[in-house]
Formats: sequence, structure tokens, C-alpha cells
Amino acid sequence: MKILIIEDEAGLRESIEEYFSEAGNICETAADYSSALSKVNLYRYDCILLDITLPGGSGIEILKALKQNNHNDGVLIISAKNSLDDRLDGLNLGADDYLVKPFHLSELKARVTAIIRRKSYNGSNLLVFNEITIDLLAKDVKVDKTPVKLTRKEYALLLYFIANKDKVVSKNAIAEHLWGDGIDMANNFDFIYSHIKNIRKKLMEAGCGDYIQAAYGMGYKFSGG
Amino acid sequence: MKLLTKYNRVNTITTVVVMLITGLIYYQAISWILTRINDKDLVVEEKEIFDYVQLNHQLPQTFDSNDQRIVFTSANAGTVTREFINTVYFKKWDRDGRHKSKHKHTGEYEPARGLISSVSVGDKYYKILIIESTLETEDLIRLIFTITIGVILLLLLTLLTTNRLILNRLWQPFYNIMKELRLFNIADTREIPKIETNIDEFEELNQTVTAMTAKAKHDYKDLKTFTENASHELLTPIAVINSKLDTLIQTENFSERQSKLLNDLYGAVSRLNRLNQSLLLLVKIENRLLHNQQQVNLREVLEEMMAQFEEIFQDKNLKVDFDVIDKEITASTYLVEILLSNLISNAVRHNYTGGQIGIKLTGSQLIINNTGEPEALNNEKIFTRFHKSSGSEGSGLGLTISRQICENFNFSLNYAFQEGNHLFIVDFNGA
Repeated sequence: MKILIIEDEAGLRESIEEYFSEAGNICETAADYSSALSKVNLYRYDCILLDITLPGGSGIEILKALKQNNHNDGVLIISAKNSLDDRLDGLNLGADDYLVKPFHLSELKARVTAIIRRKSYNGSNLLVFNEITIDLLAKDVKVDKTPVKLTRKEYALLLYFIANKDKVVSKNAIAEHLWGDGIDMANNFDFIYSHIKNIRKKLMEAGCGDYIQAAYGMGYKFSGG
Repeated sequence: MKLLTKYNRVNTITTVVVMLITGLIYYQAISWILTRINDKDLVVEEKEIFDYVQLNHQLPQTFDSNDQRIVFTSANAGTVTREFINTVYFKKWDRDGRHKSKHKHTGEYEPARGLISSVSVGDKYYKILIIESTLETEDLIRLIFTITIGVILLLLLTLLTTNRLILNRLWQPFYNIMKELRLFNIADTREIPKIETNIDEFEELNQTVTAMTAKAKHDYKDLKTFTENASHELLTPIAVINSKLDTLIQTENFSERQSKLLNDLYGAVSRLNRLNQSLLLLVKIENRLLHNQQQVNLREVLEEMMAQFEEIFQDKNLKVDFDVIDKEITASTYLVEILLSNLISNAVRHNYTGGQIGIKLTGSQLIINNTGEPEALNNEKIFTRFHKSSGSEGSGLGLTISRQICENFNFSLNYAFQEGNHLFIVDFNGA
């Protein structure tokens, strides 16, 4: 997939670029308003990561330009402004999602994956990973035709892992994704361990391979295939 | 004590004392003058006797007039010294007898002034006693005294009444300023209005108060803007640290020691982030920037929250007593979620493993109670910023934010300690 990262903060831009650069992905970057505008006018992307506050202009103007030209690129706004009005403004103007800084890269990846999945919807709601088949509309999971009964959070976690496959996902990121950042149970992520254990057990009982591995006590990695 | 009362008290006491002293001096002066007049009369009478004796070489005939009596008694030469005396005068009543029917007496004693003198007629020596009734004088003094007292009382009454009326009116601007000050809220946009007065002191007070409150508001606003800007500026570096950490853990092969360090870093960054978010949120609530209100069904929000917290309850093996009814309130969903999440998080965080949590929603109250420390918390301190119990991992802003949210919707948030349970009570009717 082809992604454009519009972000003026070099440290953040490079991290995102590195995280998204993998086989099959093309990442382009823009650090200011004019270069961003010329890129979105010239090329098409599967998803554009758009910072609102840019040197030389507002990210909102870029979004407006995109919509005026009827470009159908997915747009994910990444902004430091966490106000409902800004969020609604962005979404009303046609952005697909809105993510507030600071965020975990794994969260960003999951959101971008979801946007691209929605955009490239081609009659099929099925997400397939090796022997795992997920019906995104019905929200049910099958392993080689064997249905696996997952709770709402376990389902969300599985999708999160698949979106971040081959990446180490930190426990913090998992906790924030599943419980929201409002729940600050600080440093006590024992309950994540039991959660992971459950989902792993359910999948393996249905005959699935063991894809989830603990990574140095910092997080988990979903890999295989 | 009110200024008016104090003023009146001092005023009354001084007036009465001064009046009494002047009354006394007045009385003394008048009696002195009147006695002098009496004495003059007596001296005139004495002179008449002397003239008569010189002319006729015999004592004049004496007769009682209404107020005067002259008595001659023979005495040894040189035994009588001339002097004025205070004495009494026996007054016989008129022959038609005004008072006879009432009394058996034939007259009455009246205060009098007397002059003892002496005269020689030929070789005889006489003592003269001239007595003049001073009843009229006494009457006069009494009258004057009564009038004086009357004037004093009238004056006092007038003073008190006018003082009350005038001072109440005079101080009205002061009370108005006080009222405005009581209503003053630093976070409000309302200004202290100009008070109509033509009294310089109050005008000055009004100006000072207006200037002071405007400055306080301005400083407060500056401080808020600073907090907001500072927090905002912190977001980007936190975002960078976060993303760099996420990138760092993708590089393989960490030792146990390194991963422990990374974990601690993650924890610290997420705490820093939460703290920062809390500050931003607090500023926003105080600025009333989150105003989009709608009907919120608390039961639905609470049930949603219960599902969110499920694993966390389980992890600490907490028994949850959930007792809610349908309750609609008008509020911002976003803030209500933060409020409930804060209160429930606290109930979990300050609980012990195997403890209990109670969530009870009635028509007028939401009570969240939990087991925990066996002692009551300090009711005032817990709602202040950055107050943390020892060992708490929170930001220290949770309850401050919760209370701000409640105030925003005119609810009240209070703490109580009952039978080992810590209760946080949201009252939807304020109070």
C-alpha cells in the first residue's frame, strides 16, 4: 500500500515512516504545507496521515483540497488538538479517522489498516490470515471452518495483532487500545497476560498455530505465515 | 458588631454623658444665680429695717407676707454673726383654705433662704431673722431641669433615627460592593459593575475592587493560557518519545535488564501523557469549552463501563455490587464518561485484592463505594490538585477533574466514610 505521511515533526515522521516501511509498502513524506499540497495534487495514496498544524498552512486546507478534487484517498488526521469540535470538523470534512497525539505506532497502524480495508472493500468482508478467517461484518472468527468464540475484547485484540503482524506491540499499547487511555491502571498490566493466554488457548484449541509470542516481557508479537 | 451599632453606641454614650455634665453645670449655675437674687432681696429687706430703726428708733412692725417672715428676738450684744442660711419656711394656708379639706395641718414647710443679722435699738440688741421662701425658685429649677431632660431625650431620639436612616443609605454602596465581591468568581467572565455613588471613599473602593478583580482575572487567564500552551507544547515531545520507544522495541534481542528498563520508560511516558491530558482537560472544563450537552442515560454508560472494567475487576478479584436504575441527565457524554471512569478507577486502585465495590444509582444520587484503607480520607484535601495518597500511581488530578465536571453540570460530588467503606456521592440536584 502507498502511504503519505504529512508531519512537520521530524522525529515523529521518521518513526512512522520506519514502522510502516515493510515489504509491499511505499511511504512518502511531506514536512510542510506546500510540499504536502503538491504531493496530494500529483499522486494518489491509499492513506494519508495528516497533521493539522503545519508550517505554512493548515492540514484542514489540504483535506478540503482533496475533497474538492474528488480524490478518494483515505485520510487519517493526527493532531495534538483533542477537542471534540476539531474532531468533528475533521470528520465532517471527510477524514476517515482522527487520532490524537501522542499515540502508539501500533495504534496508528491498526487504524490505517482499518481505513485501507474499508476503502478497498471489494464485496468481501473476509480477512484471511493463514488458517484464520475473520468476517469483519459479522465479527466472527473461524480457524479452518471451526468457529472460535471470542469475547468483544479478544476479537479486537486479534484484529490489532493482525494489523501489527511481525511487530512487537507493547503492553501499554494493548491496554490503551482495549481499555482506552481513560483507564490508567498504571504499570499493572497483569490482566493483559491472562487475556492473551485466553485468546491463545481458544485459537490453538481450534487447531490454529501459535502465533502470539511474548517479547522480552515488554509486549507481544504476532507472527507467522 | 455592625459599624452602625458601634457608632450609635459611642455616639449615645458621649451624648448622654455630655448632656448630663452640662445639665449639672446648668443646674448649679441657675441655683447659684437664683440664690444670689434671693440673698439680694434679703439684704434689701435688712436695709429697710436698718433705715426704719435709724429713722424711728424702734423696731418695725412685723407681719407675715406670703413668702416672707421677719422675726426679732432680743439677744446679748455681739453674740450674733451675720450670715445667710438655708432653712425652711412654714407657710400658712389661705383663709379660704385650698388644702384644708385634705389635711389637718394649717400649713406646710417650704424650702427657704434666711438672713441672720442684728440691730441695736437704743440700748437693746436684737437678732433679726429674715426668711424668704424659695419655693418659686425650686419650681423654676425643676421646670428648667425637666425641659433639659426632655431636650436630651428628643435629641437622642432624633440622632439615633437620623443616624440609622442616613448611615444605612450612606453605606448602601459599600454593601453593594460587598455583594458583588461575594458573587465574584475568578473563572467567570462577569465583571464587577460600577456602583453609583457620590462619596469619594466608596468610589475609590469601587475602583480599587474593580481594578483588583480585573487583574486577578487577567492573571488567572494568563495562567490558564500558560498551562494550556505548556501542555500543548509537551504533547509533541511525548509523541516523539512514544514513537521512538515503539520503534526501539522492534529491534530484536533485548536482555532482561534492558526490557525492564524499557518497561519502566513506557510506564513513565504514559504517566506523563496522562498527566498532561488531565491538565488540558481541566483547563477545558474550567473554560467551559466542552459544552455540547445531550440526554445521557447513566445506566447505559455505567453498563458500558462495567464491561470495560470487567477484566480489571477480575484481576483484583473484586466483588462488584451493581444496582442501577434508568436515569437520564443532560450532560456531555464525553465528560460523563470521564467522571465515571475516574470514580470507578479510583475505587479499583485504592481497593485491596478481594475487596468490594458498590455502584448504586438512584433517581437523585450516584454512589460509588469501595473497601480500602481503614481510615477516612481528608475530605477537603482529596479534591485539591495533585493531592495523592501514598503509593498512588494516579495523576493526582482525577478527583479535581471529577469535581469540576460535577460543578459544570451543577451536580455536587462529596466524600463520606461509612463502616469501612469510602463513598463518593454524586448528587444530581447539587446542594
